[in-house]
Amino acid sequence: MIGKRNLLYVAAVAMLASTGLARAKTVCYVNAADSHAYATPANEALQERAKELQIEILSLSQDFDVQKGTEQINTCVARGVDGIILWPLDPQAYIPGLARAQQAEIPAILINSPMGEEAKPFVTSFTGPDVYEEGEMAADALNEALGGEGSVVIIAGQAGNGTTIGRVGGFEDRLKEIGSGIKVLDTVNADFDQQKALVVSRDLITRFGDELDGVYANDDTMARGFIDAWKEANPSKPTPPIVGINGQKDAFESIRTGEMHATIVQSPVEDGRLAIETMARILDGEEVKDRLPIPLTVVTKENVESVEPAF
Amino acid sequence: MRYVSLALHYRVAIILGLTLIVSAMLVPGYVSATTLSLGLDRAATIGLIAIGLTVLLIAGQIDLSAGSVFALAGIVSIMLQPQLGILPAAAAGVVVGMVAGAINGALVVGLKVHSLVLTLATMLIFRSIAHWITDSQPVTGTDIMFSLALAQIYLDIFTVRSALFVAFILLLHFWLTRTIPGRNVFAVGSNVVAAEESGIASGRILFFGFVFAGTLAGLAGVLQSLVTNTGSPVFGSTLIVTVIAAVVVGGTRIEGGKGSALGTLGGVLTIGALTVAMEFQSVPAYVQQVVSGFILILLVVLDRTVNTRRKATASRPSLVQGNPVKQGGSA
Repeated sequence: MIGKRNLLYVAAVAMLASTGLARAKTVCYVNAADSHAYATPANEALQERAKELQIEILSLSQDFDVQKGTEQINTCVARGVDGIILWPLDPQAYIPGLARAQQAEIPAILINSPMGEEAKPFVTSFTGPDVYEEGEMAADALNEALGGEGSVVIIAGQAGNGTTIGRVGGFEDRLKEIGSGIKVLDTVNADFDQQKALVVSRDLITRFGDELDGVYANDDTMARGFIDAWKEANPSKPTPPIVGINGQKDAFESIRTGEMHATIVQSPVEDGRLAIETMARILDGEEVKDRLPIPLTVVTKENVESVEPAF
Repeated sequence: MRYVSLALHYRVAIILGLTLIVSAMLVPGYVSATTLSLGLDRAATIGLIAIGLTVLLIAGQIDLSAGSVFALAGIVSIMLQPQLGILPAAAAGVVVGMVAGAINGALVVGLKVHSLVLTLATMLIFRSIAHWITDSQPVTGTDIMFSLALAQIYLDIFTVRSALFVAFILLLHFWLTRTIPGRNVFAVGSNVVAAEESGIASGRILFFGFVFAGTLAGLAGVLQSLVTNTGSPVFGSTLIVTVIAAVVVGGTRIEGGKGSALGTLGGVLTIGALTVAMEFQSVPAYVQQVVSGFILILLVVLDRTVNTRRKATASRPSLVQGNPVKQGGSA
């Protein structure tokens, strides 16, 4: 047994030595899913940019399964890659894996979503949209549309999810900060799901009726849910100003027809590109900031024709 | 002919060997102590649940709720940490698995419902309870340092989890092949009526089979939650499919009456080795499933070949045919 293990060591050392000399840099990319409206274009952009930078990507898909992701980080470490890009789906669960990567001196960065405070020592940087800023921008857009007063509802994503917390928190804080007269009647969770948004919107419309002056949805799919519920209840009345986030194609369509007031474009292409560019800089030995946001654009009727939808 | 039947007999070991050899040749960096230890750690989660399921499958039953029990036990072990402390909370998590198994067992034996249907129902119920008590949110433990310690690799090969898995599978092998209760499990699985007439309390064996399976699913869930410092209602949602595949690849018959612990070890390692090899080469997740599926079909067909051969060459009574001693050497 001992002889065998030594043999393994020799093989491993030989293998490491040969790969170290001969191969281009390899980066492990643990992504959220292979096929998803936002993740797919982000993955593709990352791969494409990696090719230009001559970095080999080892792409592993979690398929939205956190447990799988925690194990895939181990695969990355075992494979002895030069860097890890992780799309976290949980604030904590990846920490032991990231710690292992750190022990093996493999730098890791986060793409798209943040992790909890405890993860900070284990990641070099976090690239992706600033969800708090998105909330602030949404507040500005809705405040402007309503002329600084009125009653609104917030259709939020999953409770406890980092994106939801940022997008709701940024919105509420910004309203306070600019001294807006807008009152939030209620905040309900619809889990970034159109169907769930439709159901909660029906309730909101029944409960608040004419009191409802505006809507802030944490993403465009939930905004769509509200629009459908509104059309059911008031077929002839125009929708109140609705602000969504993500900048999906159908949200652009709704802005053109006036069903939606604004959305905030968060580009998956930029998201993917920034992550691999940041990793490339780390591999070149550069210092990078621990937080690198991607650009965000507010889209309303005025600029809807000149901005590209995110996906 | 002798060699052919010998090869068929040790098919799990051969497939595992082939997987390892081909992977080692095609995948750079595959053969190393780190890969081995992390691969084994990964296989341990599937493996611990597979141990419980091996016993149930041999007894002619199945437990689909294992993935839900896995999540629920993990959540309890994390949620109770502030009140009880880490280790007592972990014990409470394992007890949750045991109780869940006892519920499954009592209902299957008491109500005489087919376990496929019953555990399908409890799978949904346990999963819903997991969502309910957590508000569908992941819960975080109190001490990340403990998780880091638990994820350590000892003696270059074992994590706590993988050491437990290997120890348990060897114990199971001993129990199934060398003890009377172990052999009785095979009897119940081959023919319940015959087993009862020869004085075996089949109801009791089935009940404890479910308790055993639940306990191990709970243990696997607790370990997973401790290592990740997270209890999540979505943990293990697709786990049971992989576990069943691993057990069946290991030569345990889904119809009952046949199987072995070492076979399951081989099955778990084969699936684990394949996954790691394909991830090393960045093979998309879908393709991985296709490959696993084909290996499963191949092994099931081989299994049938072995059985028809046996029936042709010797007419032994079914209980002896399913004798674990004959089946035991397949890994």
